[in-house]
Amino acid sequence: MNNFKFQVPSFKLIVLVLCILYSGQAFAELTVTANHSHINVDFFYHGSTMSIRGTSDLGVDLVIKLTSPEGHEVLKEKGKVGGVLWMNVATLKLDHIPGMYFLHSTKKVEDILSTEEQDKYQIGYPALQRHVDMSPVANEEEKTRWFNEYVRFKEDSRVYSTSIGKISVSPQYGKDNYYILTEWPYQVPPGNYTVTVYAVKDGKVIETAQSNIVVEQVGIVKSLAGMARDNGALYGVIAIIAALGAGIGVGLIFTKGGGAH
Amino acid sequence: MYLYLPVALTSINILIPVGLGLAVGLLSGLFGVGGGFLMTPLLIMFGIPATVAAATDSNQIVAASTSGTYAHWKVGNVDFKMGLILLAGGLVGGLVGVQGIKVLQAMGNADFVIKITYVLMLGIVGTYMFIESISSMRKTKVEEVKQEKESALTRFLKSLPLQTHFEKSGVTHSMLVPLIFGGFVGILAAIMGVGGGFLMVPVMVYILRMPMHVVVGTSLFQILFNCIEVTFLQAYTNHSVDFILAVLLLLGSTVGAQVGTVFGRKLKGEQLKVFLAIIVLVVTVKIVFDLTLTPSQLLGQAGGH
Repeated sequence: MNNFKFQVPSFKLIVLVLCILYSGQAFAELTVTANHSHINVDFFYHGSTMSIRGTSDLGVDLVIKLTSPEGHEVLKEKGKVGGVLWMNVATLKLDHIPGMYFLHSTKKVEDILSTEEQDKYQIGYPALQRHVDMSPVANEEEKTRWFNEYVRFKEDSRVYSTSIGKISVSPQYGKDNYYILTEWPYQVPPGNYTVTVYAVKDGKVIETAQSNIVVEQVGIVKSLAGMARDNGALYGVIAIIAALGAGIGVGLIFTKGGGAH
Repeated sequence: MYLYLPVALTSINILIPVGLGLAVGLLSGLFGVGGGFLMTPLLIMFGIPATVAAATDSNQIVAASTSGTYAHWKVGNVDFKMGLILLAGGLVGGLVGVQGIKVLQAMGNADFVIKITYVLMLGIVGTYMFIESISSMRKTKVEEVKQEKESALTRFLKSLPLQTHFEKSGVTHSMLVPLIFGGFVGILAAIMGVGGGFLMVPVMVYILRMPMHVVVGTSLFQILFNCIEVTFLQAYTNHSVDFILAVLLLLGSTVGAQVGTVFGRKLKGEQLKVFLAIIVLVVTVKIVFDLTLTPSQLLGQAGGH
């Protein structure tokens, strides 16, 4: 009997320890799932929506970054010539810059992350600006000016965007469930994209989780794009023959129809 | 309904390209211009990348000008002999013009020269055509019959060798005249990155003295061949022709060209010239505004003109 009495508190202790261990595991695990890991671009593709959900530590801040791999971009700079006329005056080259960049955060990035951490994970436009190689820019002021113009250009093209406070977070079973529904614009070209979620606490990223998205052309769209790229001569000849055929065809139809007038 | 464009990598409401095609095709059939100076900026406005817009427009002009040439040929308004000589000159001029761009780019600020050339050409051609056709419309019939006095230029043109009669146009010129002026238009068109119909039409009307209705048909005939060449080169070297966009555009433009031809036959040559002059002047004013008003974006895609 004594043994039994001794075992009851011991059992409770084990359960308590297990509970702490179990819930501790739930706190530490940051997960991310996007509803589409593969987006097919067919003839009727007009963009999509992307829901991203997962679990995180209770009470941490979250940053969700959707981005394409870094690349190279060449754009024309407009400037005034002779103090009156606006025209292309120079070519701006950017290296190590993602073509697509969507950033969502629970709070303003500058308020929850140190500059070092922003730079380390390239979170936020200022971090991107510090990371990118731009030429020709004479000084930091000019770099800021043209980087801001670049962001404006990309936002207008709907391939760059940021939002604060759109991630909904609800606590459940000792962890936070987060969710965001974002638009996936049709302007985002085919390619490989990464969704990265950062759990942030005390100015630092404490955990990250990643998921991949592939946007791929399929069917006739894929065949035509492939032919235009790989077999330009044949593609050109077909395009010309089709145009000639259409022109003559419509001409014949109208001539027949015109006979009635 | 939206369709995804495989080369432009964007989605577009099909009513937009079909509608644009119809409107610009109508102008083609009426005035004998390809309409690239209108279509390319409009396509860019609707989110098509500049290089794809220009290349695909050439593809659809092949269809619109085939349709227009066919319609004009049926009513006897195409001077094939004149068209072929202008075309030969235009092709050589185009090659020279492409080299000219390289020289301008090497000198720096090519865009400035190109834009200024464009505005001046459009402005001068539009104003001259407008004033001339308005004053001809005011002339009495008696005055119209009166032979115009021979200018020094006319006398010089008549003194050139290889004189030949162009039956369809009812004019006699040295073969060198259309060849040289075709080449001149070809150079300017290549530098400006446009088809050059708006320059070729005034050359045929005022220098070659061809009747306006034959001018429209003949201009379309030579535009057809120019655009076949440009479409092939764009598809082969830049991979920038979007076949689906071209099909949507030509659905409208081939019909538009036919309707334009029918309308054109109901208008007098002078009326056609006035309308074309007005369109050219409106485009000039638009470009001047674009050049002088602060743009909403200070960065743009490379490859546009």
